[in-house]
Amino acid sequence: MRTDGQVRRSFHEKLFGKNKFKYRYAFTGYAMIAPAFLLLTIFVVIPLVIAIVRSFFDYRSYAEVQQFVGFDNYKLILGTTSFVRSFRNALLFAAVIVLVQLLLSFSFAHVLKNCHNRYGIFVRMIIYIPYLISGIAAAIIFLFMTNYGGGLINGILLAAGLDPIAIDMNVTWARVAVIVPTLWLGFGYNSLVMYAGLINIPKDYYEAATLDGAGWLIKLAKITLPSMVNYFLLTIVGLLTSSLTMFELPFLMTNGGPTESTLTPVLYLFNNYRNVLQSSSVTIAGAILVMLIVGALNAVVFFAVQSKSSQDD
Amino acid sequence: MKASTSKKINGAAGTVIMTVVLIVILFPVLWALPSMFKDRSEIFELPLHWLPHQWTLENFRTVFDMPDYNYLLSVGSTTLVAVISVFLSLLVNMMAAYAFARIEFPGRAFFWVYMLSTMFIPGITILLTSVRVVSFLGMLDTIWVLIIPGVASGYNIFFFRQYYLGVPGYMEEAAMIDGLSRAGIFFRIFTRISTAPMVIIGMSVFMSYYNSFLWPVMTITDNTALYQIMQLIRTLNSRYTGRYGVVLAATMMSLIVPFALYCFFQKYIVQGISIAGVK
Repeated sequence: MRTDGQVRRSFHEKLFGKNKFKYRYAFTGYAMIAPAFLLLTIFVVIPLVIAIVRSFFDYRSYAEVQQFVGFDNYKLILGTTSFVRSFRNALLFAAVIVLVQLLLSFSFAHVLKNCHNRYGIFVRMIIYIPYLISGIAAAIIFLFMTNYGGGLINGILLAAGLDPIAIDMNVTWARVAVIVPTLWLGFGYNSLVMYAGLINIPKDYYEAATLDGAGWLIKLAKITLPSMVNYFLLTIVGLLTSSLTMFELPFLMTNGGPTESTLTPVLYLFNNYRNVLQSSSVTIAGAILVMLIVGALNAVVFFAVQSKSSQDD
Repeated sequence: MKASTSKKINGAAGTVIMTVVLIVILFPVLWALPSMFKDRSEIFELPLHWLPHQWTLENFRTVFDMPDYNYLLSVGSTTLVAVISVFLSLLVNMMAAYAFARIEFPGRAFFWVYMLSTMFIPGITILLTSVRVVSFLGMLDTIWVLIIPGVASGYNIFFFRQYYLGVPGYMEEAAMIDGLSRAGIFFRIFTRISTAPMVIIGMSVFMSYYNSFLWPVMTITDNTALYQIMQLIRTLNSRYTGRYGVVLAATMMSLIVPFALYCFFQKYIVQGISIAGVK
């Protein structure tokens, strides 16, 4: 004769397996993840599924039944000169920004590390400030400085007897005008991240190396760089992502010009979402391609860093 | 002896470099600042001069007296949207993070991967279809379209979960013996011990909402009271092409809210970068 409790227990075991206490708070668990789960499903996953489905159909025709076209939309977008060019521009921006920003912030982090007084604290506080400024506001400030008629840059050039620069007429200067504000916005933040990486390296590593007679180059190659692999990876992927999805600065500074030399993928997609001549499915196929590149890049680095830091623990 | 001299030289060089960097960082803002007080005839006048010859408040008057847009209302609604979003975002993401860190439930691994993977989807990829979804839900041109879609974030859940995994378990055991429920533990204990990550994530959520541009442009079209501040600045930039002082005044005043917040939380944020260095 089984007691009531035994019956209940065996029923519970049938439902949840032998670990009868393991899931005793399962309901609370579901309740606590429910809001995030629902919001992410409605506003991220469903839009993504719709986008993927649409990228395989032709929505240009206003027919009742949309036609399945396979990879045609992807072929069309990859055959679009502007879109391909926007990717090439983004790669160029990304290469320059990653290299210059890494070099600048890594070097400046060393300066910060060697300064232990109040001035150092003050400088660390101030250099973060541009990170608070949006691309739109930064573009306004730099448009003011590069104004053709009487901005700061051209004022100096004219006073020196040189020709003024029109950033929206010259390919090289247009690109510079997009890259420089980007560097300005992120420099302080990236320096602080690098600084955090530097001060996390135990001092005795360097002391031991000094005793062994190692010079600064050897210390850099054998201690600093290996200890900061994660910081470098995350900074690089952050810079790559923000460069490849650049939008506000080229949108306001140059609007992609001249001759699409500062057109970026996001700016291209933004302009074409309203373009009635191009099927929105084609534009969406382009947006999916952006995800495949940027998202995959992020995912690979994210999991590489995670597995490495779990090994470290 | 030699070492201390070279240290002093290093220190001096460091101070010089830091001062140069400081000037470069502050220069664009400082250069633009007095031009808000310049008349339209003076703003691009050569030779260059930093301070206006004739101080005027005309630009501010224009910004505040626009017939079809209300600047202060835009700053206010942008700040309100950002503040509400910070609270909702902290609540929703911290709750989920706590469940993933501490509670066993069937399917946990699946839900974890599901939510984490949303963080690799760029906003631009789902921009157009998200607009379809919010339009289907009747949210266009309401305050909710600005707030709700961005509240849950895979990255923020991940960030808080990492933090909670480092919290020792005995605190909960003690609380459970005292008869506190799981939800009680979360609300009474875990929200109090995570001030530092809450400030860091809260600030980053605030900034992403306050500075957002693309999403409001796509979703707020007719309701000018809800025009977000960056959207308004861009509108002013195309409207007052000949009067750059007006655009500058609007831009510079929009920086006051984030700067004030930063001054307030600065200590947490600069220290927090060593914790949040992962992003």
